[in-house]
Formats: sequence, structure tokens, C-alpha cells
Amino acid sequence: MPTFSVTKRPRFTPATLGWRTATALVLCLSPMPLLAQDSPDEPANSPENSSENSPANSEAEATNTAPIPLVPGEPIWDSFHGQLNAQKYSPLDQINADNVGELEKVWEIHTGDVADGSGDLPATVWSATPVFANDTLYIGTPFYRIIALDPASGEEKWSFDTQSSLEALTQPALKNRGVAYWEADDPVAGESCQKIIYMGTMDARLFAVDADSGEPCQGFADNGVLNANQWNDTNDKWPLSLLQPPTVVGDRLILGWAGMDWAYEEAPPGTVFSINARTGELEWTFQALSDQMREQSGTANVWTHMSADEELGLVYLPVSSPSPNYWGGNRTEEVPLGTSTTALDIETGEVVWSRQWVHHDIWDYDINSAPTLMDITVDGEEIPALIQATKMGFLFVVNRETGEDVWPIEERPVPGGDGAVEGEVYAPTQPFPTKPAPLMDQSEKPKVWALADAVSFGQCSALWEDLRYEGMYTPPTTEGEGTLGFPISAGGVQWGGVAFDPESQTAVVNTSHIVQYIRLYGREAYESANRASGNESGFASQEGAPYGMRLEVALNRLGMPCWEPPFGELVALDMTTGDIKWRRPLGASQQYGFYMPESWGSPTIGGPAVTAGNVIFIGASMDAKVRAYSLETGEELWSDQSEAPSVSNPAVYEYEGRQYVAFVSGGNTILKNQVGDQVAVYALPE
Amino acid sequence: MSTLRPTRLGAIVLLIASLAGLAIALYAYFVPLTGVTGTLGALVAILACLALGVLALLLATVKQKKAAILLRVLILLGLLGTFFAGMLLHQWWICAAMGVGFIGLILDMVRPSHHAQPAHA
Repeated sequence: MPTFSVTKRPRFTPATLGWRTATALVLCLSPMPLLAQDSPDEPANSPENSSENSPANSEAEATNTAPIPLVPGEPIWDSFHGQLNAQKYSPLDQINADNVGELEKVWEIHTGDVADGSGDLPATVWSATPVFANDTLYIGTPFYRIIALDPASGEEKWSFDTQSSLEALTQPALKNRGVAYWEADDPVAGESCQKIIYMGTMDARLFAVDADSGEPCQGFADNGVLNANQWNDTNDKWPLSLLQPPTVVGDRLILGWAGMDWAYEEAPPGTVFSINARTGELEWTFQALSDQMREQSGTANVWTHMSADEELGLVYLPVSSPSPNYWGGNRTEEVPLGTSTTALDIETGEVVWSRQWVHHDIWDYDINSAPTLMDITVDGEEIPALIQATKMGFLFVVNRETGEDVWPIEERPVPGGDGAVEGEVYAPTQPFPTKPAPLMDQSEKPKVWALADAVSFGQCSALWEDLRYEGMYTPPTTEGEGTLGFPISAGGVQWGGVAFDPESQTAVVNTSHIVQYIRLYGREAYESANRASGNESGFASQEGAPYGMRLEVALNRLGMPCWEPPFGELVALDMTTGDIKWRRPLGASQQYGFYMPESWGSPTIGGPAVTAGNVIFIGASMDAKVRAYSLETGEELWSDQSEAPSVSNPAVYEYEGRQYVAFVSGGNTILKNQVGDQVAVYALPE
Repeated sequence: MSTLRPTRLGAIVLLIASLAGLAIALYAYFVPLTGVTGTLGALVAILACLALGVLALLLATVKQKKAAILLRVLILLGLLGTFFAGMLLHQWWICAAMGVGFIGLILDMVRPSHHAQPAHA
């Protein structure tokens, strides 16, 4: 079986050549403070270089300092995924599987920052994880305000309004994924901004405010505001929207950005910026595309959170696909860092290793969640591993020091095109993990759901007839109704990622089973098509490419899915074997208010948190409930109704001896048209 | 008057059940965090309970046998549909109200026929 080992295959050459040149370009074009950036001399361009680069050297350098454990000794929930390792794990056990049923809501607030899109404002999509730090609960809102709350009562301590324009500049909605927190290792007493809250805006500004007072940090960039758009120097069709809070590693902010997917062939290329947390100065950049590819393509950006192993000195980037998303005729050369997990040296930004999960991605299979770092024991061997969840429903597990397989990842032949798409090339093989098993069976065309077909008088089976499917990675086409994807953009695992209990070495992930179909339209046909678009659905122009596209969820005219349930699941995996421990439908689907049976499950957006009390907390479902499950058995132990689907990760924290669980319920139009502005916090009765 | 009460008892029970269902549906539609706040489904339940209430009033006053039978059929369909809607909306008290309404319908069906034998005869 062919494997895709980083130690045998040079893969960084095109990108790193471009990286080197582009770094020089950035140096030339950047204002004076940027000249101070710590530019790497020789980017890693071979596995040999890679092996010399980081882990070993970092280890050698680290001999004089205390090792930094992967799992913090104290309960921490100070970032988007709780901890830098993205485990979303709390060692707290006051709330446990035996008493979680007694949870009660101790406070809730409504921020007022919500819009359903019916008025002048675009709809809001709010996926912020509450951040607990500095004895305060911090949230960012989709109106780009930062709010500091008392963790026990919800009383507002302060708020900061960025005064950002509430325009959907790059997204179909006003989106926010919360804030980031940094504190100095050696705080100076009496000085402000020794603890800082950061939040980005749709219009590409990163704000830094003092965590105690909410006052802007004058020493950070331009009086507390960093304009990331100053670096938007190639195909600047849109501002580099900072919807995801930066990943804070030591004194660095690692900053990705989001853009307007599907709109253009040539788009801003996916640069990641490392910024000094105190001053806002640029320290290094990482570029996933070669110089040539930066001009003629774009994106391959990091729009979601990252994870980091401070002991190894590595930050792990989930890199998205290049543009345009559904046609690759402008990028027929290899783009080895696109749709990948890429490990960078945190000091220099050099690539240490990278694994591409989709070759020549023409399905928008962005890697959309931070890989979860974990130490696991497989066949008696302790392995520093990471697990990368994907939109495809595959879970890739590799050694996080080297990128090598933990369980074999095989290159398997995949379908080619039907000859209808001009200029396209197709990857002959794609990586398939052998373990863990895929979260859904994509090997065959999903069956039509008889009930949905019957009530729509055969609409579903007629649609199925018109959709091409030859297995996973069937390419888009112009023929019929297009190509079926199970899943495509909305399916599999979203940005909530995988949670991990380091005690039992159990990974927990929520997944969606969604069938979508994609059709390409020649430019003329596209211009004459009746076009409407939504969030992750509808028509998109891919302007500049010879094809526009349409992506739809396969529903019948009553809005019922045409494929068989379950539509979403919660899955627990034994990471010592890679086997599934249990899986169960998660939540309930809901249409017009009507709940479907829970055995059908719900598509999910958002993610889980796990605790040492053997409890999984998760929202994520269409029915807008927040739930607790037994980590051991998957049994549902508790639930409560929230205002809108909780499409974020919960936060688990302890304050003054009491354990709390916080959910943000903001909704996402990918799930359904229900928005919210609620923060709800639960604890056991006193 | 004493003979009027049993003949209208079923319709009155049905009316009360419909009004109870209406109140629950209104609560579900307007109060936050019911899970169906502001949804089309809850609105349908409101309208269905309203319609059942009107039908119950008509049933209490109808004189013609054929009209009474037609009303009972409509009410039965309305009760079943609203019960089902209540189930899908997870509004179990609407289901309970429809159950009571069904008892009212049964009572109405077994009542002394006031159409053939007017109460004052």
C-alpha cells in the first residue's frame, strides 16, 4: 500500500520558493517596523531539512527550561478550543456523570448584538467560545464588541465597541468567533495591558484592549488597532476579515483570515501572520502558495483556529483549499500546502512538516478545524500524535513531531472527470485513512430516503438519477444536475473539531451527514441562470474562471433531506486502537418548529467539550438544545433549551470553587434560519 | 334547562380543551426558549386550536344531524392533526388538551339527540 510519508517525499519546493520570494516582497513593501521581522534564512524545502529544523533543536534548546506539558496542570479555558492543544478538555470533575442531571442555569445574558437579516443589517452568525481568564468571562459579538462578564453572575464588568461597520464585506452574514487572551509572563505592576484581549473585525482590523479595563492598548500597533489589510497586496478583492481570534502562543499572535469564498478565480493568497502580542509588529509570515500561484489563484488561507505544542515549538495550521474552490484549471501544478495540516516552527514560521489531505482540491474541502494534539499509547508505544478532522468525514492521525502516519494513510485511486470541464486536471489518487474508520460511508452513492421520496412523489429519486457519483472525490461536472457529494462543503466535521480526554484516551467528535450537489455552469449559462445564493449554498460566480457554480443541499420540495438518516452523530473513539467506542445520533432535526425523531439526529455545527467528570457537553444541533452525554456510554444525561443552535464550543471553568459550563447560542444559517444573542451558564445547585 | 346540559357537555369540554390548547400554543409561540418560539409550526397549532374552538361552538348550537356529523368529522381530523403537531412540536400539553377534546367529542357523539327531540318538547 502506498503511504504518504513525509520522510520520503520532498514536497515543499514550489511553495517554499514562493514563500522565500514573497517574504522578500513583504520586506520590500512593508513599512519600517516590519523590517524588524525575524525572517528565516532557509525555509524547509526537504524532509531532511525538516528533520533538522525544529523538534530536535527545540528539544535541545529546551533542556535548560522546564518542559511545558501538553495538557496543562490547571483547568484552563482561555482560548477558542479551551487550550492550545485544542483538546477542549477540563480536569474539573465537580460536575460529573452522576450529578450532571441536576445542572441548573445560574445566569444568562442577551448581548443585543443580533440580527435575523430581515432589516437593514445582515443576519448574524455567532460561533464564539467564551474565554475564561483573569477571573473574567470574555466574549466577542458579531457586532464586533468585546464584553467582559463576572463569571459567577454574568454582570457586565466592561464592554468595548470597535465601532466596526456592520457590513457583510466578505461573508453572507456578520460573523464572529470570539476573542483571544494573552498575559505577560512577567507583568509589570501598575501598568496597563499586561493582560490583553484581542478581537478582529470583518474589515480586517485587530483590536487589543486591556483585559482589566477594556481600554485600548496604546502600545499595540496603531493605538491598539492593527490594520491587517496593510498586507493585502495581491489580488486584494476583499479585506482580510479577522473573524477568528488569533492563536496566542507565548508572546506571539498567529493570525489567519477569512475571505469571500467562491466569488473569484484570483483572490488574496493565504498568508498567515505572526505578530508580537505586545506591540503588534509583524515577526514572520507564512505563505501556503508559490509566488506564481499567489498571482493566478489565491486563498489556501487559515480561516479557523490553530493549535500549538509549546514544548515542541510547533504551531499547527489547518490550511484551506486554493481558489477558485470548484475549478482548478488555473492551478494545475501541485499546490502541496493547500488543504493540508502544516506544522510551522513557532520562532521562524518555517515549515517543519506538512500533510496534504486533498490533492488538487476542487470540492472546497478546506481543513476547517485545529488539529487536536494528544499523547496516545498504540501497541504499547507512546506517540505524540495529532488528529485532524475534516469536512470529508475522515480523521487523519499522525505523529505531531514528524507528520508520519500513526495508522496507515493510503493513497487510493479516485474517479477522474467526465471530460466536460475545460482545463481541469484531476489527482489520480487521494489519501484515505485506514483508522479511524470514516465517520460516514462515502464509498457508495447514499441511498434515497424512501419517506422523503414518497412524500415528494419521486422527486428525490429523480434528482439522484441526475447526479453523478462514482465514490468519494467524484469531480464536479457541468452535466445533469451535477455531482453528488457526501459530504461537500457543509458536511463532515466543522470548526468545533475533536475533543480528547487524556485520561481514557478517548476522542469525541460530532459530525454531519449531509448530501449536497455541485454543478458547474459555463460562463454564458451561468449568466443566464436564475441565481440566488445563501450561506454555503446557492450560486457563486467564481469570476475569472470559465465556470460559475451552484451548490445545493439535496432536499425535496418539503425541505426534507433526500438521503437516509441519521443526519448527524456524536462519535467516541478509542485512540489506543483507533476503533469507535460508541456512536449515537446527536440532537434532533427541526423544520418549521417541528422536531424529527431523535433517532434521525441533526446536522451539527459547533463542537464538544469533555471533562474529567466523564461528561461531554455540546450544543451544535438544529433543535437549539445544549446537552450533556456520558463519555463512557454516550447516554444523554441532561439537556436544556437555548435561544438558537449553539454553533460554538462550550467553555468549562471554575470560579470561587464552583464549576460552570457556558454556552453561546448564536445560530448559523447553514443549519437553519434562527439567530440568537444568548450566553447561558450552568452549574450544580449551591 | 336541565336536559340541555348533557346534550352540550361534549361540545363544552371540546371548547375548553381547544381554548387550553390555544393558550399553550400561544405560550409556545410567544415565550422565549420554548424551542418553537416564533415558528411556523407553533403558529399552525394556534390556528388549529382556534379553528377547533369555533367548531366546538358550532357543534354546541347545530340543529341538523348531517351538519353535526360533518362537524364531528372535521373536529376529529382537527384533533388528530393538532395532536400530531403538538407531538412534533414537543408541546405535550397540547397533546393532552387534544386528548381531552377527544373525550369531549365522544361525549357529544353519545349525547341524547337534541336534533330529533328538542329539549323543550
